Amino acid sequence: MRRARPLLGTLVEIGVTDAGDGNPDAAIEAAFRAVEQTHRLMSFHDPASDVSRLNRGAYAQTVAVDSRTYEVLETARALRARTSGLFDIAIAPALQRLKLLPGSARPEPKLPELAAASPIELMPGCQVRFKHPDLRIDLGGIAKGYAVDRALGALRSHGIVAGIVNAGGDLAAFGPDMHVVDIRNPRYPDRILATIRVCNEALATSGGGFDPFRSARPAAPAVIDPVTQRPVGAILGATVRAPSCILADALTKVVMLAGEGSSALLDRYGASALFVAANCNIHLTADWQESLSLAA
Amino acid sequence: MVEWIRWTAPAAVAVTVTAPAHAVQYLSVGAAQKLAFPSAHFVEVQPGRVWKAEASGHVVGYFVFDRVIGKHLYIDYAVALDPGGRIRRVDILQYRESYGDEVRGASWLAQFVGKSSESPLQVGNDIRNISGATLSSHHVTEGVKRIVNFAKSLR
Repeated sequence: MRRARPLLGTLVEIGVTDAGDGNPDAAIEAAFRAVEQTHRLMSFHDPASDVSRLNRGAYAQTVAVDSRTYEVLETARALRARTSGLFDIAIAPALQRLKLLPGSARPEPKLPELAAASPIELMPGCQVRFKHPDLRIDLGGIAKGYAVDRALGALRSHGIVAGIVNAGGDLAAFGPDMHVVDIRNPRYPDRILATIRVCNEALATSGGGFDPFRSARPAAPAVIDPVTQRPVGAILGATVRAPSCILADALTKVVMLAGEGSSALLDRYGASALFVAANCNIHLTADWQESLSLAA
Repeated sequence: MVEWIRWTAPAAVAVTVTAPAHAVQYLSVGAAQKLAFPSAHFVEVQPGRVWKAEASGHVVGYFVFDRVIGKHLYIDYAVALDPGGRIRRVDILQYRESYGDEVRGASWLAQFVGKSSESPLQVGNDIRNISGATLSSHHVTEGVKRIVNFAKSLR
């Protein structure tokens, strides 16, 4: 049974392939609710979200957030440290200047050196404070993956034995079934680049936005290099396989920025990657040869 | 340690190859109606487009079917509204991408006149999943907003 709804700014699909003793309708409903809750908490656009409340007021005073938002902030902080700042949620002003996010950015924020401690202070009781007045966060690079993981958890807690959740290409599957996933060619998204067999793991892909309502061509990827504050250009698209979707989601950004330089991180997180360089060459880690078939 | 494999893109990658369509049917109109209003019966207000859901002699809501059409994609979806015009649920019924020939646009009303809740939606089921450049749900959410506005005229 598969159902789809427009959520998280994309189309979210939830499938149950083996309901076991569970009720698939109720499980799918609960899973969509988990996605909706993530959306409400972490949307950059919704003025009532935790992200908006933080961006408006967390420098002036401590802001209490939902435990789920707090969990994502903790994960983001760990990732920022481990990726030496290649993954950084404090990217909103750059995205605003590039008109990829609404709102006006202040002029060049003078953020502390990336090597320094995180400018986001996380305190007990889900309290958060920003240590810098120009800090603005966007959880867009990680919230979809988190929502997928939560949706999967909802399916499992309703007794479902096997299922898959796909939020606009960020997906995760659990159970013994093998799911076949087509990866769009980042340069020509109306064509398939590769086919991957996914079982009990998560997959995420970064690349340009794609509006087949208007055109078969993609837009440039909205992945920003935190050092230059400009969009990346050398890599057109990256796909990462990881044990959880939040990790897969975050690591795609690192692979987009660092390409083969992301080796140590992929190793550390038990992840695999595939990316397409601007010259259309394809690079992939050797560990998924049996699960991946290139189209051409 | 992590090893990388590299494939040099063949020049042929730029040559046009028949592009696969990605098509999924999730729900028929009838199934979506039942999910939205499990114990209601439906009375057509606009043939194939708008139904009133009634139970025990009063209106329990409205069900609106719509299609957003673009160059290479159309999405059929349904919005269930409570009697006050507020959204109860939004379900995607069918998704179809096609690049071989463009999806033909048409006046949305002409598309659906005469379509009943039992009309089969024609696209075959495709069990594959897709990952890649992010698709926006913008067109569907704009459609939902239009429907909520339109619902004001229903009551």
